[in-house]
Amino acid sequence: MELKKQYKWFTIFEYEKEQDYLREMHKSGWKFIKVTGFGKYYFEKCVPQDVVYQLDYNKDGLTHKDEYLKMFDDCGWEYIQDYVGYSYFRKAVAEDGMAEEIFCDEESRLYMMQRVLKGRMVPLLVIFFAIFPQFFFHFFSTHNYLVAFFAGGALLMYLVIFAIFFVQYNQYKSNRK
Amino acid sequence: MDQHIKKVYVPMTETAFFILLCLRKPNHGYGIVKMVEKMTDGAIKLTPGTMYGSLSKMEKDNVIRFVREEDKRKIYQITDLGLEVLQIEMRRIERLYKIVQEER
Repeated sequence: MELKKQYKWFTIFEYEKEQDYLREMHKSGWKFIKVTGFGKYYFEKCVPQDVVYQLDYNKDGLTHKDEYLKMFDDCGWEYIQDYVGYSYFRKAVAEDGMAEEIFCDEESRLYMMQRVLKGRMVPLLVIFFAIFPQFFFHFFSTHNYLVAFFAGGALLMYLVIFAIFFVQYNQYKSNRK
Repeated sequence: MDQHIKKVYVPMTETAFFILLCLRKPNHGYGIVKMVEKMTDGAIKLTPGTMYGSLSKMEKDNVIRFVREEDKRKIYQITDLGLEVLQIEMRRIERLYKIVQEER
């Protein structure tokens, strides 16, 4: 079996981009096997097919995995794996060309975005703010400016990603009406 | 009825309406998906992400309650509070239906 590895970086909020990427790969004859580490995607050669990939973020589902996966299985979705809080599913597009998704109304799509925001970013931000100031003082008092620069840069990047998603979330929320 | 329940369920989403309607008898998520598909001649196909999220949210809101587990499927039933909001929603839809009939 011919295999292929690809490095691809998606932020925690770019699950739609990631879904599209996996669908395009399958369309061009590369079936997704797994993702590990820092965005290392594994594929195996397959017959090109239009298959919809969907990511769900549901902590509740992960703690009640049996019944969670049963629901998707009942509805014809193949479960692939979990990765950084997301669960990966796929389903072939039907003969009539209808591409299904795992969410069928705006409320539940929005609710998933909320889960991503709350479940992932908020606790991490709290940790960041609790720990970072101490680091800065330490680096500055030891004149370790380079480390302070990189640590500051990482925090800034983190905040920017968070802010972008928050704006997207609010746009989505108001467009819905 | 508290403000949160009023805000979310009066009026409610189509998904919440069908869940409450079907859970007047104990059933599991996939059972509801099948019932709704049949009731609407396949026009409405509820999906697992939406169903799972809605059921756990509605259980927390105490409009439905967990009854038992059967073959890895959680079986739920409507609560008194759920019945109350469902009645309000049905009256709202009846009123809309009447208006549609008159305005046609």
